[in-house]
This record gives sequence, C-alpha cells and structure tokens, in this order.
Amino acid sequence: MTLFSPRSWGFSVKVAITITAMVSGVAFTIGAAIVTLDWWRFHNDLEEKALLLAHSVAVAAPEAILRSDYWLLFKSLKKMAAQGPGNIHRTRILTAMVIDPEGKVLAHLQPSENPLGMLLAHSDEEEARLMETSMAARSPIVLDGDIGSDWVLEGVVPVFSDQKLLGVVRVRLSHDELYLKTERSALIILGLTLALATIGSLSGVAISRRITKPLTTVTEGMEAMCRGEFTDIEPVQVIDDDELGRLVATFNQMTVEMAEKKLMEEQMAVSEKLAALGRITAGVAHEVNNPLAGLLNCIDTLKKHPDDKQLMERYLPLLDKGLNRIRNIVGSLLVELRVEDAREVSGLSCLEDLRDIVEAEIDGREIDLVWENHLDDRIKVNSRRVQQVILNLLKNAVQAVPDGGTVAFHSFQDANCVVLEVDDNGPGIPPGNRSQIFDPFFTTKPNGTGLGLWIVYRLVESMHGVIVVESEVGRGTQFRVTLPATEVVT
Amino acid sequence: MKTKAAVVLLFVVLGLAGMTTAAHAAHSNYATANKPIQFGLTAVVVRENLRLLDVWAQYLSDRMGQPVEFVQRRSYREVMDMLGSGGLDFAWICGFPFVQKRDPEFVELLLVPVYQGKPLYRSYIIVHRDSPYQSMDDLAGKIFAFSDPESNSGYLYPQFFLANQGDRPETYFHKTFFTFNHAETVEAVAEQVADGGAVDSYIWEYLREFQPEVADKTRVIQKSPTFGFPPLVSRLGADPDMVERMKAVLMGMSSSPDGRVLLDALKLDGFGEFSPSLFDSIRDMAAETRKARPWIEAAEEKEKELRAEEIE
Repeated sequence: MTLFSPRSWGFSVKVAITITAMVSGVAFTIGAAIVTLDWWRFHNDLEEKALLLAHSVAVAAPEAILRSDYWLLFKSLKKMAAQGPGNIHRTRILTAMVIDPEGKVLAHLQPSENPLGMLLAHSDEEEARLMETSMAARSPIVLDGDIGSDWVLEGVVPVFSDQKLLGVVRVRLSHDELYLKTERSALIILGLTLALATIGSLSGVAISRRITKPLTTVTEGMEAMCRGEFTDIEPVQVIDDDELGRLVATFNQMTVEMAEKKLMEEQMAVSEKLAALGRITAGVAHEVNNPLAGLLNCIDTLKKHPDDKQLMERYLPLLDKGLNRIRNIVGSLLVELRVEDAREVSGLSCLEDLRDIVEAEIDGREIDLVWENHLDDRIKVNSRRVQQVILNLLKNAVQAVPDGGTVAFHSFQDANCVVLEVDDNGPGIPPGNRSQIFDPFFTTKPNGTGLGLWIVYRLVESMHGVIVVESEVGRGTQFRVTLPATEVVT
Repeated sequence: MKTKAAVVLLFVVLGLAGMTTAAHAAHSNYATANKPIQFGLTAVVVRENLRLLDVWAQYLSDRMGQPVEFVQRRSYREVMDMLGSGGLDFAWICGFPFVQKRDPEFVELLLVPVYQGKPLYRSYIIVHRDSPYQSMDDLAGKIFAFSDPESNSGYLYPQFFLANQGDRPETYFHKTFFTFNHAETVEAVAEQVADGGAVDSYIWEYLREFQPEVADKTRVIQKSPTFGFPPLVSRLGADPDMVERMKAVLMGMSSSPDGRVLLDALKLDGFGEFSPSLFDSIRDMAAETRKARPWIEAAEEKEKELRAEEIE
C-alpha cells in the first residue's frame, strides 16, 4: 500500500507532484481570477445590453401609450426582439413588456399568455418581487432575478411624459450567453492550466531525475554495504561539483576505505581463527598427550610383566581413568553434537532440579545460595541445554567464592526474552583474562579442562542467545544469559 | 395722340400680360410632363409587396409617358389630406373616405377594381385559429383590432354592427387599437395581441395565398354584406387629359399581357368604370352609425388635430 503513504514515495515523484501542484495552483488561481473578471465584464455588458434594448422600446413608447396605440408598442417590442443588438451576440431575450402604472399589460412579447389590459400575471414570488421593484423604478435600472431554474437579468426603463409616469418597459434577458462566454474562457484557461501542469511535471521529473539518480546509486551502494558487500560497489560518476557532486565523491572515497577495512578485518579474522585453531590443537594435544604418556607407560610395563597380577590390578584402573579423561575431553569438544540430539522440551521447573545438584556441590561449605526463579512454568525451553548452561555457571561460581560467600541465581522474563543471571561475590576475573574466558582449554584452575565456559558459550550461541559477563576484581562476577523468545517455546 | 398712346400701352400691357400667362401655361405644361405623377396608396393594398409596386409603377410610367410614383402613407387621413392639398393626383382609397362629405369636394371616382368578377368585397371578422370564439358575441370584453379609423371594412362595418345592437366598441370590448393596415390586423390576431379583428376580405384572401404562415393562424367568424370595392380616385383639379389617360391605361391592363401578370399578382380581374352609387350602402351605413353615435364627430375633430400635430 505504498501508493497511499506519501512518505514512501520516491523523491522524483514528490518533486514532480510538488512542481505540478505549484504550477497548476498558480495557473488555476490566475485563471480563476480572469474568469471572475470576465464574468463581471460580461455581466456588465449584458446589463448595458438589457438597458439599451429597453431604451430602444422606451423611445417611441410615450406617444404610443398616450394614443393607446398598443399595436405600435407590440411592434416595437417585436422589432427589438428580432433585431436588437443582442441578436448578433446570441443574447436570448426571454420576454419583454410594457406595463402601465397600475400593473396592466400595455404590450407583451407573449400576448396570448399576457393579454392586453389585464394585470400582469405573476406565477411566483420572484416574479412578484421583480414586478414590484420595476414598478417602483423612477429611473432606468437593471434587476437580477431567479425565475424557475433560470437566472435572468431585466432592464427596466420607466416611460414618462411631462414628468408623469406612463408605464415601464421591461426587457428580460437570459444569462445563458454569460455562462456560454464564461465557459469558453474557463475552458481556455483550463487547457492552459493543464498544459502548464504537464510542462511543470515534466520539468519536475527532469529535475528530480538529475538529483535522485546519484542519490539512488549512493543509496543502493549503502544498502549493499549494510548487507556486508563492500568489494563490488561501483564508484558513482561525479557529474557536477555541487552539493551532490561532493556527496558522491565522499561516498566513493568511503566505499574504497570501507572495502580496505573489510579486507583487513577479514585478514584479521582469518589469523584469529588460525590462532584459535592453534590453541585448540595445542590444548587437545596437551590434554590428550598427558594421560597418553602415562597410559603407554602402563601398557609397556604390563607387556613386560604379563603374568604379574598385582601389577595388572594396579594399572588397569589407571588405564581406565586415563582413557575416560580422554573420552571426556573429546566428548566435551563435541558437546554441540551431543546436545543437538537432545530436543527435549519442558517447563522451566527443570531449573529447580539444579538446586539440589548445586547444594551437593557446596557440600557443607559456608556458602549462601540465593535462588529466585520467577519464570512461568508455561514457558517451555530446551531443558537439557539450559540446564547444562546454568549448571556450568553455578559450578564455576561455587568454586570461585571463598567460604562465607554468596552465589545467587535469578531468572525472569523481560519483554520477549528469558533472562537467567548467575552472580557470585568471589574475587572476580582479572581484566587480562576477560577476553579469553570463553576460549577452549583456557583455565585458571589447576585441574580444570578449560572447556566449561566454552561449552556454555557454544550452547548459548546454538540457542541464538547472548551471554554477557560483568566482573570487578574483589567484588564479584555476574553472567547474564538472555534467550530470545523465538527459542522459548510457549 | 394721347388716346393712341394709351391704346398702345394697353396693348403692350395686355400683350405682356398675355405673354406672361402663355409663358406660365407653357411652363406649367412642361413641368407637368416631367413631374412624376403621385399615386397615393393606403391600407387597401398589401404594402409589403414593394417589388410588385415597383413593377406596376414602371408599367404605368411606360404607358403614361410620364413617371408614376406610388406614395404610401400610414393612414387614410394622411392620403386624403394630401389629395386635398394637391400633393397627390390619384389615390387608391377606401369606400368610407370616398363617401365622406367634403366641402368643397376634391375627389372624383376614377375606377373600381374588379375582384372575383365583381367590384365588391366584404368585411371579415377574424379570430385566432385556436380560439374558442364563434361569433361577435363571444368577443365581448375582449381585445379587438381595427385597421384604420377611416376604413370601411376595418372600422365602420364593425362599428355599425355593434351600433345596431346598441353597443359601441369602447364599452363592448375590453381594449381596442388601430393597426392602420389590414395585413397588420391579421398579424395582430395571428400573434394573439388581439382576440379579434376586422379586415378587408380581399386582403385576407390575398394573405391566405401569399403569406399563409400568418393568415392561416386566423379564421373568419363573420362576413359582412358586400360593399363597393375600395376605389381609385383622382383629384378634382388634376389635368383632365392626364386623368383620362390614366383611366385608359388602368382599364387596358386586363388586355395587355404585362398588365395581366400584374393583375394576377394583385389577385384582381381588372379595373372598371362604375357609378359612385356603388358606395351608397357605405354612405348609408356611415349615416346610421353617426346617428347612433352623435359624439363621433367631436372625436374625429380631436383626432384630426392630433394628426395635424403629427404631420407637423
């Protein structure tokens, strides 16, 4: 529905529309003024015409009225109607009449409906008003009236003889001519307005094209940048050295710099990956090598003394322990694969199971465990993964705090996320270690594998969550895991 | 010696006088020969047919050896005044002005047109074709158009008719007016300006043929008895020779092909010599009407003054 939301229209459309609107607005305003002026001019012309026609009858009227020469009066009305000056300009004479001071007909252009010597019949109030006004006229006047659906104009000329009112000549003209003439000029002006509007919109399109073409290219380039495509952005052609030209030039420079930066970042990422891989390889080698040397030693000794039962009994548990350690390390490395299969989904009450495990881990030490689980049980999660994450964090916390310390677990819902927090008031993480804590095989504990937090990180990542560490040396550490609602099965 | 001288002087004087007279007479004759003959026309002819009148004037001029001009005036009164003052030599007038008393008399009957075989016509009372009026009785309180105050068919006859039943136009009708032309009376009725009108039967029939779009909007509800057709008259003081020649030319029209064409266009058979007694019925009717309306003369006097003012 972009059609109905102007904010989403293209700049070229907006400029074209604005220019068109302005041009047609100006043209229309001037046109309307001209039409109005024309209207008044034509109206005045018509008024003059009405008076002129009435005068032409009034000239011969006094003598004819005095002599009761009704035929002469009628003939002068007829002559006026037939060859009045209006005839040339297609003025429509609706009616004409000569009325005596008592309101009786002396002559009428429609004699059959308005017989001689009778009071003029007026069918409606408007006719009566016109009649009254014209009978009261003592000098030539023009009246406007609304007869039926017709707007009419009446030229009224009183006829005097020796200052005595003999009658009134009324000539009624139709406004048709006025409408016709005004319509004609209105049409011409409308045509001009349309032509100007067309020219305006065309120039609007041209101007906006000139502006929007580089803008569109720049925008497309920026959109590509947002998608992370830096290398294949074509430089935009600089046309003029104006504001747009400068924008385009700056943009071109920016793309080049961005592309260089991206290239550097990629190179850095590769070397970082290689470094991490090296660390992992070294870790694996180290962790696997340590027990392997002992195991090989044991096997060597057993080979040398195949019948020594005592030796067998002493070495087999050692072999078992060493191989298990290797298996654990390899298993931890494959943690993702392992938990991937566990698609068990359950309510968050599963977190409550952890409480007992943690209390067992505390094992009688003087550690205060604060437990606040505010999550609705209707929120379903991948329980195995979440349990693993929280258990690892809590174990770390318990190990980190000294006796008399506090370990706290908080969980709550925030907007569309589930937030799980594990706090401790242990010694905190030294700033130098903070960037490495999630690296595999990084450990500060004497017999740690360095895989706990790495597993946590991988699990949170697999659930599209975020893990944040806040730590202050001497004050404690907080891990906050935020899982998006999309991963929270409701 | 003294006597001789006196006689010579007398002769000289007489001679001079005679010469002057002769010269005056000769001049007069000469002038008459070149001066156009003025022929007055009134509402009895259809005035609109100017081309026909031009042809007729040309026809008369050719045969008279002298230009003939038709002079048109609005009313009979004006034509009669011009005849009286010598401004016209001939006129085609109506029977009513012809029979009116003049002191001294200045017109003489020349010829009477023959219409449909007779020198007679009627007065028609006409109404609009679509109107409900069937007789003069229905027109009481309505608007009535007369042609000319001195027209027989257009004024005298309807007046006479009303006088016979004890009415007069001013009170019998709601309004009346004069059109001064029979053709315009027909038009006034056709346009419904007037509810009824009195017209010359010859003109009405003529219009029926030549202007049916007007005449066919009217219908006749009453026909008068026949009267003498509006006559051609000559001025009494006019050159008798010229009058005789005019009479011969007009009478000869029916036997000349060109004249025939003109007569056909005028819808007339010809012009004939008839006794003035042909118009006695009009004279009687005027007298009857006058008796019924003693004030008519006063009114006529007043109108005469008005006309005189207008002419001035």
